[in-house]
Amino acid sequence: MIEYDDMEKKMILKLVYYGPALSGKTTNLLQLHDLLDQEGRGELMMLDTKDDRTIYFDLLPFFLVARSGLRIKLKVFTVPGQVRHDATRKAVLQRADGVAFIADSRRSEAANNAESFGNLEKNLSFVGLDIDSIPLVVQFNKRDLDDIIPEEDINRVWGPTGIPVILASALEGWGVVETFERLLGLTYETIDARFRLEREHGLDRITFIRSLARRKGGAEIHG
Amino acid sequence: MDKVTGHADGGIDYVVGRELGLKDVMEHAGLSPLLERAVDTGASEVIISDRGNAILLKRGMASPADTHRETRILKIEGEPAGTLTVTGPPERKASLVNICDILNVSIDIIIRNTIKRMVTTEIHTSVVNQSYQELVETNTRLRESENRYRELAEKLEIIVEERTAELKKAMAKLLQQEKTAAIGQLAAGVAHEINNPMGFITSNLNTLSRYISRLRRMIGFYRNAFMSSELGEHLRTEEADLWRRLKIDFIQQDAGELLRQSLDGAERVKKIVSDLKGFSHIDDVEELPVDINEELDRTLNVLSHEIKAGTEILRDYGTLPEFFCNPALLCQVFLNIILNALQLEMDGLRITIRTRCLNREILIEISDNGPGIPEELRQRVFDPFFTTKEVGSGTGMGLAVARDIVNSYGGTIEIDSTPGNGTTFTIRLPERGTGDD
Repeated sequence: MIEYDDMEKKMILKLVYYGPALSGKTTNLLQLHDLLDQEGRGELMMLDTKDDRTIYFDLLPFFLVARSGLRIKLKVFTVPGQVRHDATRKAVLQRADGVAFIADSRRSEAANNAESFGNLEKNLSFVGLDIDSIPLVVQFNKRDLDDIIPEEDINRVWGPTGIPVILASALEGWGVVETFERLLGLTYETIDARFRLEREHGLDRITFIRSLARRKGGAEIHG
Repeated sequence: MDKVTGHADGGIDYVVGRELGLKDVMEHAGLSPLLERAVDTGASEVIISDRGNAILLKRGMASPADTHRETRILKIEGEPAGTLTVTGPPERKASLVNICDILNVSIDIIIRNTIKRMVTTEIHTSVVNQSYQELVETNTRLRESENRYRELAEKLEIIVEERTAELKKAMAKLLQQEKTAAIGQLAAGVAHEINNPMGFITSNLNTLSRYISRLRRMIGFYRNAFMSSELGEHLRTEEADLWRRLKIDFIQQDAGELLRQSLDGAERVKKIVSDLKGFSHIDDVEELPVDINEELDRTLNVLSHEIKAGTEILRDYGTLPEFFCNPALLCQVFLNIILNALQLEMDGLRITIRTRCLNREILIEISDNGPGIPEELRQRVFDPFFTTKEVGSGTGMGLAVARDIVNSYGGTIEIDSTPGNGTTFTIRLPERGTGDD
């Protein structure tokens, strides 16, 4: 959590989109920006990039006011995926409340996914977070491409971990909002356990997800 | 709670995502010229205030006549952060709306870019600091490990040297022991072979001695009878002539002497053989109580052929307790030291052997009156393979082996020498009776 101010009734949460280079983290944020209703979210801030590669981070803020008057601001960040930007990843990962790991479904990228996940585990520990307890979802992106790891294989590997896995094509715009909603759901549980969102602020899980992920036209809720 | 603070472990003080107020951004945005241009263009007063309506920046001054007011909400990250207020005369309302819109868009762009700049600067600084810190730590760790490896390498060299020396010594000792054992075995075998013929030689010599005295008696009887008989003069003359020519008187006298000398010689051979057997201790595999004085004598006997005429051996033996050891090894020690002195091959050589027992310690001093050993060599005489003799004539092992044996009994061996004034080897052995150790 970036900040919680009881007097100001303000809570600032941080979600981080992590993953190997070119797995589609920024595309996820662009799609969230496009697919979700303008009400409840701010503008997408993309920091300077070089050749379309993120070198700092992207930021998409969301807003929500609970019945109690508690203003919740949710900042969704991407990290630079390239190995060389590890220090920036550590900085962005500071005080994260939840992580979406965006994996590249292509078979050729399996090693990069594994390396990046190992890096996530290491960096979480570096900033004092625990991969076993932090809200975490995994998105297998680029399902629109050929030569991708079959769904059975993904389930066989990830099933036993208990980490929710969402298949997506960020480019085509599906699976993206679902990923966000699943992560919101897990994050809500952690925050609720600590700050009694439901009991003290009248904010239940469904409202939390629905307020932060308002689909244009109002589709069903996942998570 | 949960205010923005640095994470102690990570070394990151700046948290990405920290909230920026309009005031924070304005300090870096440089909005004054924009507001001044707005005033120049027709606005009476332009004010930027924060959410609590505190004025952050103000240009121009509204008069009571300026009743028209245009306001726009300024946002940071999509969130209302403050208000832009443009005031002017009501007749210029359309112009004021335009000015306010242009200002709003411009300020919005400037704020966004300023935030980007601030954020990138901050993250860049924190990343650089962190990278630097990591480099410093890596450097420190590398230096430490380098030092550790260097130390290890240095120690390794010393350890290898030590082990090599130990191995060299152990091997030399083994060789010497094997050689000693082989010589001992040979000596014992030869001694055994000599003992048999020596037995019948001595016995025969004794018998021969008895036979000769009988023959002498018989010859005496014949001679007396011959002298008193009535034989011709020429026969007596012939007998006396032959007696003289054959030196019968001398033979009779000398035969006994020859036999006595031969018996003496045989006796000496017997003694040497017995010493040789005792010295080689070929049957003594185990340790037993030993009289050190006796072993010294035994060693000197074995060395008797090496002792040149004119060499003086002085024995100054004290009463010693029995020493529990392998006597063959002890003899080896004495032999190696005494032989060293005997090999000086000088006229008037005097070797003094002194034994004492003091304070439960057996002291054996073997001194010579030779030229002594120069100080620079004194420390090295116990080193394996150290020799001053010509290549091939000495193994350089004698004193090294002697020291090893003495050390194995918990004793010490020291050398004291004054050039020109002889050398003294002092062996100290802790008392070691049966049942000790």
